[in-house]
Amino acid sequence: MAKFFGLDKLAYLFRIMKENGGIRSSLYKLYRMDDLKMGTLMGIDKCGNKYFENNRYFFGRNRWVEYAPKYGTDYDASQVPSEWYGWLHYKTDLTPDKDPSRPIYKWMSEPTENMSGFSGAYIPYSTTKPKIEAWVPPKPS
Amino acid sequence: MNNCVKLFSLANRGSFLTRASPQVVGKKFESTAKDGYIYVNKDDPSMEMKDITDRAAQTMFLTELFRGFAVTLAHVFKEPATINYPFEKGPLSPRFRGEHALRRYPSGEERCIACKLCEAICPAQAITIEAEERADGSRRTTRYDIDMTKCIYCGFCQEACPVDAIVEGPNFEYSTETHEELLYNKEKLLNNGDKWESEIATNIYADHLYR
Repeated sequence: MAKFFGLDKLAYLFRIMKENGGIRSSLYKLYRMDDLKMGTLMGIDKCGNKYFENNRYFFGRNRWVEYAPKYGTDYDASQVPSEWYGWLHYKTDLTPDKDPSRPIYKWMSEPTENMSGFSGAYIPYSTTKPKIEAWVPPKPS
Repeated sequence: MNNCVKLFSLANRGSFLTRASPQVVGKKFESTAKDGYIYVNKDDPSMEMKDITDRAAQTMFLTELFRGFAVTLAHVFKEPATINYPFEKGPLSPRFRGEHALRRYPSGEERCIACKLCEAICPAQAITIEAEERADGSRRTTRYDIDMTKCIYCGFCQEACPVDAIVEGPNFEYSTETHEELLYNKEKLLNNGDKWESEIATNIYADHLYR
């Protein structure tokens, strides 16, 4: 009977809101992520982004990232570090903490977001000496 | 084929040519199918009086309009078929060719030996390499520039590379505000490699049976 009137959908909505931490935080998440979803927490990366999975949604929507609160509304897809990139893009089902073949070297750098348009943006420069140098006229002594 | 043989034999006996040639042509056109098609379009609407009246009534009483609204309303409550980027992302192949990166050996030594094969094979001529002997006597690049706005992302450079140094990494989220930010130099490419090594190595491993 409840199913006929769609009341189970309403109950599911309330469960999602409860999972997301009440009405206020649900509304904020809806404002920030344009979507309100519930799933199992698969892990947290070193930037603080949270990764969720729920196979109730169809393939392509069943994995998602919730960007760390410090980013606010300035979230960007380039804030996903390379360790979680493959899992989020459905290349592998193994999260980085469960994947033994993922290499860890000490020269690997920290994840950085795309800084284009900000002060940290990359500006090209030459990495070698110029081939042609301007002639400096000798000073008359 | 049969006609060709006939034509060939006719050419050998010229006297028969005038009499035989209409036969050859006639046979060629005979082989086309007659009435052998399937009608794939929607059938024409019925012109019975009852059906015409029904259609007129539907148009007059706007039932089709409301039926259209009903379909729209039904889709409001359906699960959207779009993904919510950048929170959800589409599936990607391990062979995806994105932003370039220069890799290092596990020891931290850069792989590139300045053989310039990538520069030679690049169809867009986007790569510029200058090489010099390093202080320890090994051959290294002093300049490794890629113009990402010239690059056509064909992946020939990573296929040409004998030491797996230049690779097209998985990243495609490097859009920039200006053109000059896409003129990558050696340091930028090495930084990309350091940043993406975890994913690049996993991609190469995922494909190792096919290489």
